[in-house]
Amino acid sequence: MIIIGERINGMFRDIAKAIREKDPTAVQEWAKKQEAMGSGYLDINVGPAVSDRVSAMRWLCEVTQEASKLPLCLDSTDYDAIEAGLEVCKQPAMINSVPAVQEKMDRVFQMASKYNAEVIGLAMSEEGIPKDAESRVALAMELVANCDAHGIPISNLYIDPLVLPCNVGQDHGPEVMETLRQIKLLSDPPPKTVVGLSNISLGTKNRELINRIFAVMAMSNGLDAAIADGCDEELIAAVATARIILNMDIYCDSYVDVFKNQNL
Amino acid sequence: MAVEILKEKYRSQVREVVLGATKDEGGTRSATIKVGGESTLPFLHFEGEVPNPPVVAMEVWDIFPEEWPQNLKDAFGDALNDPAAWAKKCVEEFGADLIALRFKGADPDVKDASAEDCIAVLKTVLEAVGVPLIVYGCGKLEKDNAIIGPIGEAAEGENLLLGVAEQENYKSVASAAMAYKHSVIAQSPIDINIAKQLNILISEMSTPLLDRIVIDPTIAALGYGIEYSYSIMERARFGALNGDRMLGMPMIGNVGHEVWSKKETFIPVDEEPGWGDQAERSLAWEAVTAIALLQAGMNILVMRHPQAVKLVKQNIDELMQDNSY
Amino acid sequence: MGLSGLEIFKQLPKTNCKECGYPTCLAFAMALANGKASLDACPDVTEEAKEALASAAAPPIKMVKVGAGDRVIEMGDETEIFRHDKRFNHPTAVTVEVKDTDDLDARLAVINDLTFERVGQEYSVDMIALVNASGDAGKFKAAAETVKGKTEKNVVLVSEDTAAMEGALDVLAERKPLVYAANKDNFEKMTELAKSKECPLAVKGEDLNSLAELVDKIVALGYKELVLDSGSRETSKVLADLTQIRRLAVRKKFRAFGYPSIAFTSKDDPQEDLMQAGVYLSKYASIVVLKTDKKEHLLPLFSWRANLFTDPQKPAQVQPGLHAIGDADENSPVYCTTNFSLSFYLVEGEVSSTRIPSYILSVDTNGTSVLTAYADNRYTAESIAAAIKSTGLEDKVKHKNIVIPGLVAVLKGSLEDESGWDVTVGPREASGITKFAKEKFA
Repeated sequence: MIIIGERINGMFRDIAKAIREKDPTAVQEWAKKQEAMGSGYLDINVGPAVSDRVSAMRWLCEVTQEASKLPLCLDSTDYDAIEAGLEVCKQPAMINSVPAVQEKMDRVFQMASKYNAEVIGLAMSEEGIPKDAESRVALAMELVANCDAHGIPISNLYIDPLVLPCNVGQDHGPEVMETLRQIKLLSDPPPKTVVGLSNISLGTKNRELINRIFAVMAMSNGLDAAIADGCDEELIAAVATARIILNMDIYCDSYVDVFKNQNL
Repeated sequence: MAVEILKEKYRSQVREVVLGATKDEGGTRSATIKVGGESTLPFLHFEGEVPNPPVVAMEVWDIFPEEWPQNLKDAFGDALNDPAAWAKKCVEEFGADLIALRFKGADPDVKDASAEDCIAVLKTVLEAVGVPLIVYGCGKLEKDNAIIGPIGEAAEGENLLLGVAEQENYKSVASAAMAYKHSVIAQSPIDINIAKQLNILISEMSTPLLDRIVIDPTIAALGYGIEYSYSIMERARFGALNGDRMLGMPMIGNVGHEVWSKKETFIPVDEEPGWGDQAERSLAWEAVTAIALLQAGMNILVMRHPQAVKLVKQNIDELMQDNSY
Repeated sequence: MGLSGLEIFKQLPKTNCKECGYPTCLAFAMALANGKASLDACPDVTEEAKEALASAAAPPIKMVKVGAGDRVIEMGDETEIFRHDKRFNHPTAVTVEVKDTDDLDARLAVINDLTFERVGQEYSVDMIALVNASGDAGKFKAAAETVKGKTEKNVVLVSEDTAAMEGALDVLAERKPLVYAANKDNFEKMTELAKSKECPLAVKGEDLNSLAELVDKIVALGYKELVLDSGSRETSKVLADLTQIRRLAVRKKFRAFGYPSIAFTSKDDPQEDLMQAGVYLSKYASIVVLKTDKKEHLLPLFSWRANLFTDPQKPAQVQPGLHAIGDADENSPVYCTTNFSLSFYLVEGEVSSTRIPSYILSVDTNGTSVLTAYADNRYTAESIAAAIKSTGLEDKVKHKNIVIPGLVAVLKGSLEDESGWDVTVGPREASGITKFAKEKFA
C-alpha cells in the first residue's frame, strides 16, 4: 500500500501559519519527514481558511518540491486551485478528487489528460454516499467509463469507496471491504483503490489502533493506497508487515526499515 | 489485426555498478566496466533499457590448478604456471571482460600464502592486463579475513570487486571496500531473504556502498539444483524492477567454480558411454549453465573454459540485438 | 481469471430490462464477474456474446498433442510466466532436424541411439523434424517412408509445399505428425490436409501480426490444433516473440496466441546451435528444433530441461542411499544427511572438497531438509538406523562411526541406542565440514 502523507494541510495550525506568512520552513520539514518515513506521495491541501486558494496551492506545491522529490497529491474541491498546482508540478501528480458527477468528471478528466495526472474518483454522486457495495461499485464503474472515454489508462484511476467513522456508520465497514474487492473486477487492468484512512476513526477513543487495523484489513481486500499520517510509526510497521504477509515485498529481517527507506 | 504488444511498466531499475578505475579515477585500469542498470527482465529491449551487456570474467589462480581436468588445462597450456601470463592470455586471446583472481594458494592447507605473497601476485596481474579485477580469497574465513584488508590497501583506488561478504562475515570485506574504494560481492546461500538482509547490513556500515554491491545469490551447476538459483534470481530481479531497492543490485555467478567439480565435466566417455565426449561435454556443461543463468538476469559470469566463454559471449552479443516492435 | 465487469458489460444488451433479477445490466455484469449469476438469466444476450464469454473461461493456452498411442506428446496448457509462481506443465519437446537429402538410415540410427541416463532419469530425443530440403515431393515422400520404417519417434514434417506435405502425410498420418507449416499462401490447403488427417498444424507468420491474422483465418476454417511460429530466427527476436506469445496468451487471454509454440535454431555450428536452443527452452518454446545430434550436446540440454520443469513447490530429491565420494573404502568417514537435493549437494560439495574419500548416507526424507524432516518425524533415530541397515553400511566400513548434522545434535543419544553406532555431531552448516573433517579425519 502506498501512503499518501496527509500532513501538509492548512487544517493544521503550523501549515496554516506557513501559508499566511509565506514561510516554507514547516511545510518543508513535514515534506522531508514524511518522505523519510516511506510516504509515496505528499498530499497538499491549502485548508479551509485561505482566501486565495489558487495562489496558496501554487506556493505550497513549489516549496514542497524544493524539499522532496515525491509526487504530489493535490487535494481540493476548487478545480482552479488544482489546475494551478498541476501547472507547477515537476512530475505527474495526483488529483484529489472527483465524485461521479458528470460535469465534474468532465473537467477533472480533461485536466488529468492534459497534465498526465492520476485521479482519485469518489464513489459518491450528488445524492451522497451510498450505503451498500453494489451502489458504490456502480458509481465506480461510471468513473471507470469516463476515465476510459478520456483515453486515460484505468490504472491511473484511484477509486475511493468512501469510509464513514466506525462510531457513526458501523454497517458501512463490510460494504467498503466488499467494494474494494469488486472494484478489482471492473476492468483489466483494474483501477486502483484509495481511502482516507483516518475517517474510519473520527471521533473515537482508539484512533491509531483503529486506523492501522483498518489499513491492514483493507490491504488484504486489495487496497492500493491510503491518505494517512505518514509519520505514525506503528501504522508504517503494520503496513510493512501486511505487505510481507501478502507477499508483496520479499521478506528480510529488517523489512520495516526497508519499507521506510524505499525512497533511498 | 494488429497485435497489441504487452510491455510491462516497472517502477524501478537495477542499480548500475562501475568496476575498475582508470588513471583519472585513481586506479590504473585502461577502462572501467559498468554492469546493471537494466529497467526490464533479461534482454527484453522492447519494453525497457538494457544499457550494459552482461560480462564474462575468466578465472586466474595464484597457483597451478592441479585439480582441473586435463582438457581444461590444455586450453591454457603453460600460462597456468604464471598468473600474469594466464590473465594476459584470457584477456588478449579469449576476450575476457574481467579477470577473477582467486587466491587458492592462501589456503592454509594448500600453500598458506601470506598477504604479501597475494599482493605480489595481484600486482603482476594488474600490470599484465588493463581490465578490472575481481578478487576472491581461498574460501577459508579466517584466512580470507586476514588477507583481504592488506590486499584492499595495496590496490587502493583500483575499485576491485572484492569477494566475498556473507551474513555472518561481512565486515572485513565491506571495511576494506569502504576504506580503499573497492566494490563488494555480497554472497547469500541460495536464499533471497538473506541476500536482501545482507545488503541492508552492508549499507548500514556505509550508505554509499549500496551502489557498489554485487549480489552473489550462490548458483548451483546445471543438474545440481540450478533451478533454485534460477528462480531466486528471477524473483530478486522482478522484485528489484518493482521497487525493491535492497535487491536491485547486479548479480554475479561463480559458474566455472561450480561446474568444473561436477562429474559431468570429468568422467571419460568410456565410463559413461551415454554421455558423449568428455572434452566437448564439459565445456557444453559450463556454457549451458551460463546461458540458463543469463535468462534469469545474471550480470557477471565467472567462467573457466575459453571455448565456453566464447560461446556465451556470442550468445550475449546476439541477445543484445534490439528486439523492439 | 475470467473477464472483467467492463468486458462483460460490453457484451450485454444494455436494455436494463431487469429480467435477470438485477436492476441494471451493469449490476448483472458485476454479478457475472463475481461468479454469482449465470448468463442464461439474460433473455437478450447474443450468440457472439455467449461465445466470447465462454472462451474467457477456457484455459489461456490450449493443449495440443502430437503423436499417437503411448507416444503422444502434450504441449501447451501453460498458465505461468515465471516458474517460481507455479510449475511449467509440459517440458519442451527436444527435436532433432534431419533432411530428406541426408543419409537417413545412418542419421536415424544415431538419433534412435540418443538415450541418456543421469541421476536415475532417462531421456531420449522426443521428435525428429524431417525437412523437405530437396524441394522434391517424391524425395520427401520416400524420406517419410524411411522414417516410418527406421524410427518410432514422433515427427515434424517440414515443408511449405502442399503437394509434398500431402505425399508425406499419406505415409505418416497415423503417427499424427506435426504438419509444418501453414503460411499466408498455402494455409487453406494445409489446413484441409491437417484437418482431414487429424494432425496438429504449425502456423508460420512473418511476424507476430501476420501470425495472429493467419491463426484467426485458420480458426475460421474450423481448425484449432495449432502450434505457433512467428517466423523469426534471430536469437533476440525469437526470445521477444516467444515472450510476447506467452504473455499475451496468459495475461491477456489473447486467443490467437493461445497455442503451443515452436522455435528453430539457425546456426550451422553445433555448439552455437546448442546455445540458441538453451535460450528458447528457457523461455517458453513448446518445441525446440535443433541440428546437433551429439550426446555431449544434448545431455546438458536435457538436464536443463529436467531442472527447469520441476515443480517449484516440491523439493527436488536425490536418490536416497549410500553415496561414495572419491575412492571411499572401509576406513572412510560416513556423513549422514537427507535426500533433499540442495542439502545433499551442499554436503557433497563440501565433503569432496575435504579431499578425504568419504560416504554420504542420504536418508529418505521425502526430499525435505534436515530441520523440516526432523520436525516432521522423517529424520529420526529410527529412520537413520534403518538406513544404516538397509544400505549395508556395516559391511562397507569396518568402523562404526557416523556424523550427523549439528542441527539435530539432539538425536545423538537415541541414535546410538537405536543403531549401536557411535555418533559424532558435525557442524550446523555444510560450510563447516572442511574445518570439521580436517580436525577429525585428516
